[in-house]
Amino acid sequence: MSASPDSTHTALFGEESTFSNEAHPGIEPSVSSDTSENDINRCSHITSVFADTSAKAGIVGKFKTVVAWHTRRTHSSLHPAKRRKVSSPTCVDTKSGSVFCSECEDFVFDDTIDDLYLSTVLSVEEQKTKFQVEKRGREPYQPWIPTGDESIILKDAATVPCQGRRGLLNLGQTCFLNVILQSFIHNPLLRNYFLSDRHNSRLCKHSDCTCCEMDNLFTEIYSPTNTPFGPTSFLATTWKVSAEMSGYAQQDAHEFFITALNQIHGTCRGSTNISCNCIIHQTFAGQFQSDVTCEKCGTVTSTIDPMLDISLELRSKSGEPAADNTLASCLRRYTKPEKLGAREYSCSKCTKASHEAVKRLSIRTLPPVLSFQFKRFEHKTSGKAAPQKIDAPIRIPLSINMAPYTTLAMNTTGKDGETGYPGPVAMYEYDLFAVINHEGQMDNGHYTNFARFQDEWYRFDDDKVTPSTLSDCLASNAYMCFYVKRHLDYKPYVKPTYLVAREKDIVREQAMEREKEAARMKEVDDALIAMV
Amino acid sequence: MSKLTSEVEVLHVEVHRRMIENGEWDRILHLLSSKLSESGWADDLLHRAKENSRSMDPLSLQTILQELLSHAQTSVPLSVKREITTLIKQFVREQFEK
Repeated sequence: MSASPDSTHTALFGEESTFSNEAHPGIEPSVSSDTSENDINRCSHITSVFADTSAKAGIVGKFKTVVAWHTRRTHSSLHPAKRRKVSSPTCVDTKSGSVFCSECEDFVFDDTIDDLYLSTVLSVEEQKTKFQVEKRGREPYQPWIPTGDESIILKDAATVPCQGRRGLLNLGQTCFLNVILQSFIHNPLLRNYFLSDRHNSRLCKHSDCTCCEMDNLFTEIYSPTNTPFGPTSFLATTWKVSAEMSGYAQQDAHEFFITALNQIHGTCRGSTNISCNCIIHQTFAGQFQSDVTCEKCGTVTSTIDPMLDISLELRSKSGEPAADNTLASCLRRYTKPEKLGAREYSCSKCTKASHEAVKRLSIRTLPPVLSFQFKRFEHKTSGKAAPQKIDAPIRIPLSINMAPYTTLAMNTTGKDGETGYPGPVAMYEYDLFAVINHEGQMDNGHYTNFARFQDEWYRFDDDKVTPSTLSDCLASNAYMCFYVKRHLDYKPYVKPTYLVAREKDIVREQAMEREKEAARMKEVDDALIAMV
Repeated sequence: MSKLTSEVEVLHVEVHRRMIENGEWDRILHLLSSKLSESGWADDLLHRAKENSRSMDPLSLQTILQELLSHAQTSVPLSVKREITTLIKQFVREQFEK
């Protein structure tokens, strides 16, 4: 196996803009460009303008300029126009890149413009993205162009339906498992990893391998059958590898989520204990930074902790559930400076233990997929009171900008509340793709979930899958919710360890083959000598 | 009468220009859009626009705008409206005191 298809693969799933490009790349384009030429819904004006080469070049050039301008511009821009006129009869919305045709009086779509928009935004973002530690910039995106062999294979390959929507049977109070599996199935990064055969269960030599279970799960979900599927072997493997999850008892979905992440990480090829870049850590891992400032001498002590998800309190400091809870208000509460008591902290510099300090939490590294849990189940530490469920409503948005909660933004805030954070704003934008709900009480409840495919929402209740709407999803009382970064970027020139590990395995296997061969030859030689 | 409206217009253009040049326009716009998103206003409008357009034939931006405009204007949360108006008033006051 050569390295080139692998590097293009990483580029492929990195470039996914979740709304516009979810279909399998590489298979569709030839078909769609043929149909769009004869599409009666296509705007005739833009077609006629594009027929003239010089006019087309003019429009394309201007389009590029205005889109690049919008992407580049930060908060100190001098120009007001959001929609810029490109050329009669079209103008463009620089935020979305949509082209408005004034003769049709409507937005029009054109393949050339679409491609141009994506490539322009990408190139500006690549130039502007800075890393906190690494000096080098972002690794440039390379589109996947099928080589001769690959296009021959593609020609004969049967196309798989690109929608994976299948109900999951309840195997006896296993709705906690079903909702988490649905959130994995709709996670674009996990989906791309397993659908591109990164972990082939037929070649894997491990037993009780959760990665193999994920591989099998995706095979089932994307198979032509659409009757509900029973994830029996996933459940069996979970029981075998983790004692606390076994048995038919009701489980907490979040606990299972963490267990599953650890199991997948553990069975991933090339996973490591520190700074792992297995698929789980590449997808979910971020970092918190906790700064403790000594009130006396002003020394700041920072500690960095890894995170896979964020657990948010629904209650405010006073202990009552806040009246108007939103995801943003929970995050603000989470990252608020907090006074530490006199005995909780001793400054290393002024060494006197008895004075006050302020602790502040912030997000140092944002992961590509952000998962939030709202603490709805409350276990009282004192007394024998039964655990309680907090039913307080929470409002979550379809998309959220995470910039205000990052360490970078907090350190640059200060002078008259002005926030300035480096890099394009789009690098902090996240879109919702799955929500998990819990109905009922603490010990006899039921889990359901919502999940998005492209721009449509569906509700999953074990084996029942029904079309839903955005407002139904947002109005449901979330227990967990998952957001994916709108534009992904990669660390500069890093090779995932699963590729390194696989290459090492191949080398080792080849060496073993050679040794075997040498041993066999030696045996033959020995036999010959003995005969003589 | 016409003189009066033209005076208002001139003033509006002037305030608008100063706001943009000083960066206040972008700051307020950014704050407004994040407030509208947090309050659920933006998502509600998106939902309505999408559900309305599902059955619309022929599909047209103008029709969607007509259907939603009055609802969009009246449903802006009062607290957001107040906060943004205060900011704008404050800016205008500062500009004229100088």
